[in-house]
Amino acid sequence: MHLTPQEERILKGEEGHGKRKALEILVALGEIYGAKRLIPIASAQVSGASFKTIGDAGIKFLEDFSSEVRVSVRASVNPLGLDLRRWRSMGVDPEFYSKQARIVAAYRSLGLEPLYSCTPYLAGNRPMAGQHLAWAESSATVFANSYLKAKTNREGGPSALAAAIIGKTPEYGLHLEENRKPRLRIDIGEIPEGLVPLAGYVVGKTAGRRIPFIKGLDLTADEHKAFGAALAATGAVSLYTYSEGKGRARTDTSEIEECISLPTSELKATEDSLKGEEDWDLVAIGCPHCSVAEIKRMARQLKGRKPRSGPDVWFCTSRKVYASCPDEVKVLKKFGKVLCDTCMVVAPIEKLYKSTASDSGKAMVYLPTLGRQRASFRSTAALLEAISR
Amino acid sequence: MCSSPLSFLGGVDTATGKILDGDSDAKGMSISHKVLCFPFGKGSTVGSYAMYQLRLNDMAPAAIINSSAEPIIATGAIIADIPMVDGIDVNLLRTGDRLAVDADDASVEIIDVPEKHVVTSILKDRSKILLLQRSDRVGSYKGQWAGVSGFIENGETDDEAVRREMEEEIGSNKLRLLKHADPQRFRDGEVVWCVHPFLFEVRDPDIRTDWEHKKFEWVAPEDVAKYQTVPGLQQVVSALLYRR
Repeated sequence: MHLTPQEERILKGEEGHGKRKALEILVALGEIYGAKRLIPIASAQVSGASFKTIGDAGIKFLEDFSSEVRVSVRASVNPLGLDLRRWRSMGVDPEFYSKQARIVAAYRSLGLEPLYSCTPYLAGNRPMAGQHLAWAESSATVFANSYLKAKTNREGGPSALAAAIIGKTPEYGLHLEENRKPRLRIDIGEIPEGLVPLAGYVVGKTAGRRIPFIKGLDLTADEHKAFGAALAATGAVSLYTYSEGKGRARTDTSEIEECISLPTSELKATEDSLKGEEDWDLVAIGCPHCSVAEIKRMARQLKGRKPRSGPDVWFCTSRKVYASCPDEVKVLKKFGKVLCDTCMVVAPIEKLYKSTASDSGKAMVYLPTLGRQRASFRSTAALLEAISR
Repeated sequence: MCSSPLSFLGGVDTATGKILDGDSDAKGMSISHKVLCFPFGKGSTVGSYAMYQLRLNDMAPAAIINSSAEPIIATGAIIADIPMVDGIDVNLLRTGDRLAVDADDASVEIIDVPEKHVVTSILKDRSKILLLQRSDRVGSYKGQWAGVSGFIENGETDDEAVRREMEEEIGSNKLRLLKHADPQRFRDGEVVWCVHPFLFEVRDPDIRTDWEHKKFEWVAPEDVAKYQTVPGLQQVVSALLYRR
């Protein structure tokens, strides 16, 4: 890999031990993937923020690292294992909180923006088309690549942090135009109301490692958020391409080698397979974190209705979104907890609940594994119906 | 030496340095202060942090050798200051080997296990290839089936060695060189054989063998597996016939 004289100096340790470690990580990845050089990034999104996922080893690493370096570009952090203000009412124990607080302190001293959200693009860090990023968090990565047309690989926590410190990332994979062409065309039948996340779930499974092209994918920004999150959870790709309406594709489709059709019946069959039981002790909405529009729509649907006794309810969002629609948040609060900084995937949910219903395709992958839950998929509308009368 | 992919998150006990992974043939072995060899990493990126924890607990391996590097292990090795070498065929290594590892030079040497270089020629006549059964008078692999083989002598290139061998054993005017594949390495006990494979087409299938062989047969390449061959012969054949 070609390094600039300044990068060579960092690698020799002339700008300190921490920067050297960060650059060594980037160079090692660059060499594994055949990158020719490092390129500047506009921002980074760092995953590995919940004590549940990174454990004591992660705390120790971040604390040691934070005493030596700071980030050099805009960088934000993924959700934590708890809401920093309402963790007690979530039922999280004080020991978990104290470990989580150490992670928060380390990230702050590293200079990361405390967004604690998987949707940095809704919380103040919205990339522009064509910008190079180093984002971890699979749902944010796929949204940035596919909807916002920025360019990022799916980073791991340490590599995104290393990129944030150096301000660069190795140029390979989705940073290069030739690697962003679809290899597979997927024709989806009509997507029934509320099943957009499951369409993403099925497309991800079908695509595997291949970038798909989907014709006539007419979704709102929020639907792309849900679709992409599920796709990136079941598949190994961080980019899908699509055309809208009857419009011609602006995507280069010349390298498509296979076409698969996913009829509506397959979405229905997936819905059936993810239905689960109705013994929920938690209803969780907001994976990825809710947007302002989603919170407003849910508040509209719930207005005038009364809470029904039954499972706990979590609406998960970013603190930025929470602050920008206080009236609607007030409505939602009658029906459950509106949580910031955290979500159902990275909170210690296994200590609190056994059976969770969600409207998220991504959560259907992680609730049964990371969260040890019996998981049930329902549309947002069905969940709102279930928690109100 | 762990012959299956390894995850440091859950696959290794960071307090004791022991391998926990139930699928691993190295389960229960300690990796601490030893050269840890496995093909490649698997699992979550948090595995990198677990490697850092091993270092803090003074339970880290002395070095890591991988057949191919992947991001989790490469990142973990950097943050935990564990020297790492990749691109080494870990199938050549055995538990208990003493290794000299130079991570800056990306080299690994197995101490007390010499590497011996030989040329092996596969002769081809239309769709058949020539197998020869080694006689009882040769020094090694008596009675086993092989190609035309011989040591590369001191100061000789593999091209020179193969020309000399073919001249001695077949008569080189009968042959046309089709392919020279990359060296293939095999571990056999306390020796690593580095085989330099060559593929020749015979112009005249009527060949005579010398004292080194007692029999020869022309066989279909897919039938090589049915013969009791010297180590790695199938791999040599497939490197010559099937790989670009």
